[in-house]
Amino acid sequence: MSTKNNSTPSLDWPAKTNHVPKEVFEMEGLWEEELKNIFYGEEWHPIVHRAEIPNPGDYKAAQLGEINVFAVHGDDGEIRVFQNTCTHRGTSLVTESSGNKKELECPYHRWLFNLEGDLVGCPGDREFSPDFDKKDYGLLKLRVEAFYGLYFATMSDKTPPLKEYFGESFYEPLQRLLGGDGRLNLIGYQKVIYDCNWKAYCDNDGYHGALLHKAFAMLNWQGGQGTQIVTKNGHLCFDSELTMPDHVDALEDGSILDFKGTETSNGSIVLMSFPITVYTKHMDMLNIRYSFPKGPKGVEVHYAYFSHQDDDDEMVRHRIRQSSNLLGPCGLISMEDASVFSRIDKGNRTQGDAIFQKGVKDEYAIPLEVGQTDETGNLARWERYRELMGFERRAK
Amino acid sequence: MSKFSSVNKELIEILNNEYISALNDFNMDNWLACFSQQGQYILTAEENIRRNLPVAFMLDDCYARLKDRVKQVMEIQYDSSEHYQMRHFTQLISATESENGVIETKFNFSVYYTPRDTHQTETLCVGKYEDSIVIEKGEALFQKRVAIVDTNVLPRYVVYPV
Repeated sequence: MSTKNNSTPSLDWPAKTNHVPKEVFEMEGLWEEELKNIFYGEEWHPIVHRAEIPNPGDYKAAQLGEINVFAVHGDDGEIRVFQNTCTHRGTSLVTESSGNKKELECPYHRWLFNLEGDLVGCPGDREFSPDFDKKDYGLLKLRVEAFYGLYFATMSDKTPPLKEYFGESFYEPLQRLLGGDGRLNLIGYQKVIYDCNWKAYCDNDGYHGALLHKAFAMLNWQGGQGTQIVTKNGHLCFDSELTMPDHVDALEDGSILDFKGTETSNGSIVLMSFPITVYTKHMDMLNIRYSFPKGPKGVEVHYAYFSHQDDDDEMVRHRIRQSSNLLGPCGLISMEDASVFSRIDKGNRTQGDAIFQKGVKDEYAIPLEVGQTDETGNLARWERYRELMGFERRAK
Repeated sequence: MSKFSSVNKELIEILNNEYISALNDFNMDNWLACFSQQGQYILTAEENIRRNLPVAFMLDDCYARLKDRVKQVMEIQYDSSEHYQMRHFTQLISATESENGVIETKFNFSVYYTPRDTHQTETLCVGKYEDSIVIEKGEALFQKRVAIVDTNVLPRYVVYPV
């Protein structure tokens, strides 16, 4: 846990665990502390799935906090994540969001790096400083661990190993969400900026589902049995059965809602890893939402969608239709979430606390056992945030 | 060869004007009326097209889906959306007729939006339409309108077709 230093903005945190002070969202000076204590701290951040950069030389740019990074598929088949900077004078090496390169050349002084990040050429090096050694000037590599093709990076050497960090209650459904074996194909992206602080984007709960999303009721769509599991370090897992009606009267084309079903899900898996990433396997959609805060205001979300390598053509087409129409910033069953992000952001520029109620049994405890339709699954994440930021909770 | 070879440009312009008027007047029934019974509408990102990735922002690949799009906007999500005024500006780039009588057109577009709370106008997206147009009973209709946005990262969630 990070300790609070003198420059940290102070924030009076309520004694009750189901209260979150509204000023925590966009308070001046917080973002810099969040970068230091959370994004550059002991957390794992998903950067890329192998399916997005399947061939040697394929790369994908991303951000970790405010640091520009890129993942690149090496000639040796390994995927590495580097800070996007030449080790000479700091020029960015990758200037597009994705692409393919045989090697990485800085245009400024033609320093040349191979796909494994080694410096292999630098003109005029006989006139460099006496101690200069190419071996010391490889690209700045981030610590990486992969899970069924999904590569996570961390800025800290102290971050626990990935499986230990997530715990089985999170990584087991994540494996199922990644098709069971991670053999995925990328089928496309939807990218959008939501007008809210990144922490407002994170709040998700089992309470709002049937109430906000009118499509569920109109489509006579019954939520079945399910669980909501919270980990102590703030990760969240919804694993729910979906019972689809035999016939969808409310739509002209009900086929968009077919659940062709695969062996890895009862219908719906929604995961959220601390601090900010959501993963979903909703019906036949396989979706990772890479999320990048734009400072204290705004969060850029890249919805990446996948098919499985064993899918037949019909299944791929079905996944494409669902992915394009149900989730994302225009989706039939998720556009409302985007609207709420924006409204939460505006509404929280007022006084007082945001208050969680559904499922609260003890206003002074952090519940790790929560019901499927409770909103208390968020409290462990808020508690972890509070601890990492060093905010003292008011006495009871 | 001319980019406007022997094509009735006037009918095309009328159709395009009806389309953008429908959206800017918030009239989704008129939007639907711009499509033939085989009509399709796709809103996607330039990045997906360039990388041959088929997922779109909106993928209405049959007339039934177009009708469901109208229902989504006007009924299912009407009360949870933060509505905004759109304003389209388009420019016809090319129009050519293929052997089967289908007219292929391209328009550039820019779309501004003005939220009803801030009333500050901003750019929603910039891109191009790639269309297949048929003439039925003297009237032009979209068999397919594909809106490809250069704005790969949209500045907000999108309630209506572009």
